[in-house]
Amino acid sequence: MSNANWILFLSTLSTGLILGSIFSLVAAGVTIVYGSIWMPNAANGQFFLLAALFGWTLTVSWGIHPAIAAILVIGISVPLSYALEILLIRRFYDVPNRNISYFVLSLGITQILAGIFSLTYGQWSDQFQLPPLVSGITFIGPFPIANNRLAVLGLAVAILAGLFLLLRYHRYGRALRAVFQNRDAAALRGVNVKASYSLSFALGNAVIFAGGILFALAYSFDLTVAWTMAITAFAIMIIGGPGSVLGALVVGMVFGFTQAIVSVVASPTIAAFSYLGAMLVILLFKPSGLFAK
Amino acid sequence: MTGPTSTTLSVHDWKRTVVPLGVFAVLAFAVPVALSGNRYLAFVAGITLIHILWASGMNLLYGYTGLMPLMFAGIAGISAYFAVDLTSSGWSFWIALPLGALMASVAGTILGLPSLRLKGFYFTLCSLVIQTVITLGFVYFAGLTNGDTGISQIPLPTAPGGGTISPAVFDLILATAAVIGVVVLIAITRSSLGKRLVAIREDDELAEMLGINVTRYKMTAFFIGSLFAGVGGALYAPYIGFISPRSFDVLISMNIWLMVAFGGRGTIWGPVVGAVILVPLSFLLQEYYTVKDVIYGLLIIAVIVLMPGGIASGLKRTARPIEAAAPGMAERRGAK
Amino acid sequence: MSEILLEARGVSKRFGGVVALKGIDLVQHRGEAVGMIGPNGSGKTTFVNLMSGHLKGNTGSIRFDGRPIEGRNPYQIAQAGLTRTYQAVRVFGELTVRENVAIALVDTPNAIGQAGVSELADWLRIGHRFDARAGGLTLLEQRQVELLMRLVQQPKLMMLDEPVGGLSSAEVRTMIAVLSELKSRCTIFVIEHTMKVIRELADKVVVLLAGEKLAEGPPADILADQRVINRYLGNIDA
Repeated sequence: MSNANWILFLSTLSTGLILGSIFSLVAAGVTIVYGSIWMPNAANGQFFLLAALFGWTLTVSWGIHPAIAAILVIGISVPLSYALEILLIRRFYDVPNRNISYFVLSLGITQILAGIFSLTYGQWSDQFQLPPLVSGITFIGPFPIANNRLAVLGLAVAILAGLFLLLRYHRYGRALRAVFQNRDAAALRGVNVKASYSLSFALGNAVIFAGGILFALAYSFDLTVAWTMAITAFAIMIIGGPGSVLGALVVGMVFGFTQAIVSVVASPTIAAFSYLGAMLVILLFKPSGLFAK
Repeated sequence: MTGPTSTTLSVHDWKRTVVPLGVFAVLAFAVPVALSGNRYLAFVAGITLIHILWASGMNLLYGYTGLMPLMFAGIAGISAYFAVDLTSSGWSFWIALPLGALMASVAGTILGLPSLRLKGFYFTLCSLVIQTVITLGFVYFAGLTNGDTGISQIPLPTAPGGGTISPAVFDLILATAAVIGVVVLIAITRSSLGKRLVAIREDDELAEMLGINVTRYKMTAFFIGSLFAGVGGALYAPYIGFISPRSFDVLISMNIWLMVAFGGRGTIWGPVVGAVILVPLSFLLQEYYTVKDVIYGLLIIAVIVLMPGGIASGLKRTARPIEAAAPGMAERRGAK
Repeated sequence: MSEILLEARGVSKRFGGVVALKGIDLVQHRGEAVGMIGPNGSGKTTFVNLMSGHLKGNTGSIRFDGRPIEGRNPYQIAQAGLTRTYQAVRVFGELTVRENVAIALVDTPNAIGQAGVSELADWLRIGHRFDARAGGLTLLEQRQVELLMRLVQQPKLMMLDEPVGGLSSAEVRTMIAVLSELKSRCTIFVIEHTMKVIRELADKVVVLLAGEKLAEGPPADILADQRVINRYLGNIDA
């Protein structure tokens, strides 16, 4: 294969891996929150963007090193999650069919955040770019890749692996999974259900924020990524199966590669159409998703 | 003599329905006329009238049938673009309007078909997906729609017999549409169709068990609701003079929904009040355009948290239960 | 014996790996009150769900009033004259009784006239509650509203799933009296755990156990049948 083709292939591969792992992170976050407290969070895209914009402020306006900024951004998501949970989310825990109330609530949050972002960041810049985590370029064969992007990929995969291990083996993770599957049985086994709700809300959002800051470190972005990400994340969650982190991981990677490949041959809009089409097909024929238990 | 289940108008009905209708009709025509000296204010009134029409359509779907159709704005957009394409090709607006509305109804019914079997959140999500597909379609098929740039300088229509129509006269046409819309909604809610829709909203399995063809009547609701969306869309385009995919995206659907939820769904006048409050409010915030989003978002949250029945059911403590149904009842069987 | 109203042959239903019903044969004649008993999970409600169209069966044929109904939608089966109630009482809670009845009448080809509605409402002693919110009524009153909603449709067969569940013994007696009279207007099929109801109402009893028909016969025989006693009745208060 000629050098040009290798480069194309490796470029698509690397984009697919990076996008895929970021998609997986965000979708995992969304699916964790839906699976545990039954909240479909349409504002996930705005949270994703919020993390990215915070990162921009920290690194560009305040000159903080990107690695530290990333930690700060993910860290700040925790108190924000708890605040939101106490203010709004908690009220609905015992409401029947709260998923639709939550969905509309999250649309309201989306509108608020979109408005705030337009008023602030939207006035300051059209496009946002963060300084790289590490500088320099590595060559894989003839293909040059920024070390920054390699670092982002490494971090994303590490977080995904950590998440997976946490849910599968650690005590908190097992408690979360027990509550996913059967809240009453879990309560009988001594799991503090309300506490695990707060924990999973915080965990899900932290993972979304992680996706956001990593995306911002790898690529430049504008305000429209929020809506695109939200649709993509929902599509991944629905297709993978609401509540299934494994589904989010697998389908997220598939989406990442699809996006990378399709962007080479056609416009991103086509990719979006195909996600939406796939989501519709699953909604109509197998609503529990591909990886449902 | 009214029997246990008849629907003939009683004295009670006159007070509750016909009188407010009369007041509304008078106001709908009088306000634009009174404001005709100030074109800006008259315009606000006109946009409010279009939203009253839209809110009534959304009310039929959400308030009375219990479906939350986030693709409502997309349907209005289909009609708007279709009508604009026709008129710019030389067709008379007065033919383009019904054709556009019909196009919207057919599109709305077909697009709604896949979601008919879905309940609660999954239905809303499907509707959101369809709305997103529509908006993407508006952007992508720029050959038909001029894409993100939008279509500008859409003129007001000429009268059927030739001759121009002034904005003030068009205001009265909007008033006619709004009044007709409300009358149609009233007629439906008092008819057998209205009973079927309420039954579907309250418990669609039980309704089906009692012999109601739930799928067919949901489609009917889609068709009629989409007509409201479509007529409004076709009237909106020449009135405001400019349309783009953003004019008909999911946030617009949410705003119309908000008018219904805020004003009191399942009542005839709640959504009208909602539109009358929220539309001028958004104009008031015009200079601070983006504050409008924040305010609307806060209102959506407030409605969900504080007033499940909307303002109307809060104010009318004596509202009949059929008018004060809580959201929980409609979305009873969400998918889990 | 009058003609056959409901005929189920070889009806089976499985949910994934679980077989809920295995080859059930059941025949009900017009005017013959059938009672169905059996432990929880034996498939009784599943059977009614299959008859009313809320579930599609995996195998078997179902004929109602001479016509096949398997695979038909619930509203079509309802319009053909087969109606059912649910284990947990189910009315339009936020609507008034009047509105509940109006809905029951709206798509019924065979409905009773206004005068008939009043008569039935009075007979069920629910007429005075017509403008009350259905969800606010007592359990017995709500059960009566359920019956009213079905009776105004003049159905051919009423399948009742545990109609006295949750009622006090005095209320159970009232309900038995109502159902006894109801038998003359309409053929009934009753699932119950309270044997008193079965003894007083049923002409024929069918016993289900783990998805299969264990026994079938007149109440006296069934309630004395040793197999039935061992596998089911011995564990409950008959």
